Amino acid sequence: MPTVVDASDVVKRWGKTTALDRATLKIGAGVTGLLGANGAGKTTFIGLVLGMHRADGGALRVLGMDPWADGLAVRAQVGYAPEHDALPPDVTAHDLVRHLAQVHGLPRREATARASDVLYELGLGEERFRQIGTMSTGQKQRVKLAQAISHDPELVLLDEPTNGLDPVQRDEMLALVRKVGHELGINVVLSSHLLDEVERVSDAVVILDAGRAVAGGTIGELGRTGDAELLVEIDGRGSRRLVDDLARAGVAAVIDGDRVVVALESDRVYDLVRDALAAADLGVRRLQRRRTSLEDVYLSAGDGAA
Amino acid sequence: MTAASRIYDSGYRRYDGARLGPAHAFRAVVTHTLQRVFGLHRPARTKVLPILATAIAYVPAAVFVGLAAFLPRQLSENALPTYGDFYGFITAAVLLFVVFVAPEAMCPDRRSGVLSLYLAAPLTRSRYLAAKATAIFIALLFVTLGPPLLLLVGLSLQNSGPKGPAGLALILLRIVGSGAMLAAFFSALSVAASSLTDRRAVASAGTFGFVFAVNAVTAVLVFGAKAPDWVLALSPSRGPFELTRRIHGEPPLQDFHAGTAALAGAALAWFLIGAALAWHRYRSLQVTR
Repeated sequence: MPTVVDASDVVKRWGKTTALDRATLKIGAGVTGLLGANGAGKTTFIGLVLGMHRADGGALRVLGMDPWADGLAVRAQVGYAPEHDALPPDVTAHDLVRHLAQVHGLPRREATARASDVLYELGLGEERFRQIGTMSTGQKQRVKLAQAISHDPELVLLDEPTNGLDPVQRDEMLALVRKVGHELGINVVLSSHLLDEVERVSDAVVILDAGRAVAGGTIGELGRTGDAELLVEIDGRGSRRLVDDLARAGVAAVIDGDRVVVALESDRVYDLVRDALAAADLGVRRLQRRRTSLEDVYLSAGDGAA
Repeated sequence: MTAASRIYDSGYRRYDGARLGPAHAFRAVVTHTLQRVFGLHRPARTKVLPILATAIAYVPAAVFVGLAAFLPRQLSENALPTYGDFYGFITAAVLLFVVFVAPEAMCPDRRSGVLSLYLAAPLTRSRYLAAKATAIFIALLFVTLGPPLLLLVGLSLQNSGPKGPAGLALILLRIVGSGAMLAAFFSALSVAASSLTDRRAVASAGTFGFVFAVNAVTAVLVFGAKAPDWVLALSPSRGPFELTRRIHGEPPLQDFHAGTAALAGAALAWFLIGAALAWHRYRSLQVTR
């Protein structure tokens, strides 16, 4: 998978506050969630990727370029939708999107055509000549997304794109983000502090905590970290006996509440658990291979950093 | 499908055409800003002030040209103003334009947050500011250069213009110089005032207040406290307009004894101060963090 953003030991300070503290991460193609609590350094990192700020240390490459030294070239190929309000109320959506496409280097005729196309694609075809100030919050977020992709960037940075949206609008926006990343073929970095929305649309995740990248990888890779456990719920008493029998067979297991957690070192463990249950004549209420959710990774990453 | 038929797909397409450089981005900002200032592609109410200021600026020139056309015999030799005097008729229009153009061009970008989108594009802060200043300069030329040019063209067509090609070229040069000087001077002042606030009304009031407050202070110092004559050159409403008279080779106004060098120096000083203040403000402006 080609690397879109490559950060190595990146440091950024604002006065006495260290916003990014030797952050090392890679962002590849597709949709990548940049996950972290408020103040974790997500927006600062986006600012560095855009070349708006200069890093105080480390190395950062965006699309193979140094965003500070080659800021104009990087920004010509990157789209950005900020978290905060960034839309003039007394301009139509079409005029704004066309103008910003021109500013990103598209000739006027192309910019005009693409502004209409993008707004259609994002569900604002009928609304494109309305002044932005008269639009709903959901429509404004779509305009932000439209201006970010109108010039067909290689990479689009979306900073908290679901802020202020109701649940229905949020679902629609996430569907659009997924569409941008998977159907339109634009690499997306989705910055969010909301775990479930990152999990829903992202191919990969980078978790920032207090300015450090504490975990990263594809959703599959992060989930696999918890595959090595088997949960067994016994019908009635017998958990202690099961743990002892498994220990004699060389399998580690512990009692966790009303469940037995078995270390799943290999597929042979399934057979040993089956045999132990049968030998002890224990009924099974539930037998489940435990998958670590992104939430587990997020929480454990935060604990580790703390 | 016939040769005349086409299928139009309004969906998203990848773009593999030409991507123009930063100069194109600069021009796009200049054009968009000029459209905004003159109320183009915007609601009708935003067109009122530009039309009003334009009317005030161009009516005197149109009246003088009309008088020269329809009452040539009734006009005495000195009834038409000289080109140097002409600015006295359009001072109000120029100042009206000054107090609304720069705030309209600059403040909404910061207030609405769209500045962050500009700076995420292939524009640096200095290029963005230069594009805005260029647009404001061009807009101000519309009232500092257009009316005297209209007067020149109109009178020349009535055979009341300058004598001979050399005379015409000299007047034309003086008109362009005066108009550009006034536009540059007031661009710098109004851009500086507009860089200090993101509210248009405050920027307009600040520009207006600054011009007239400094004018009052310099007048009191020179005529009341007997300060040196060059102090009057610092007046941002009187100094540059007096300089236009000197550019046109007119004698000083009766109470204006500051030398031409003092007038040019004062105008240059205000220009540099305004430009430096605006640049400092935009360089240190926090857009995203």
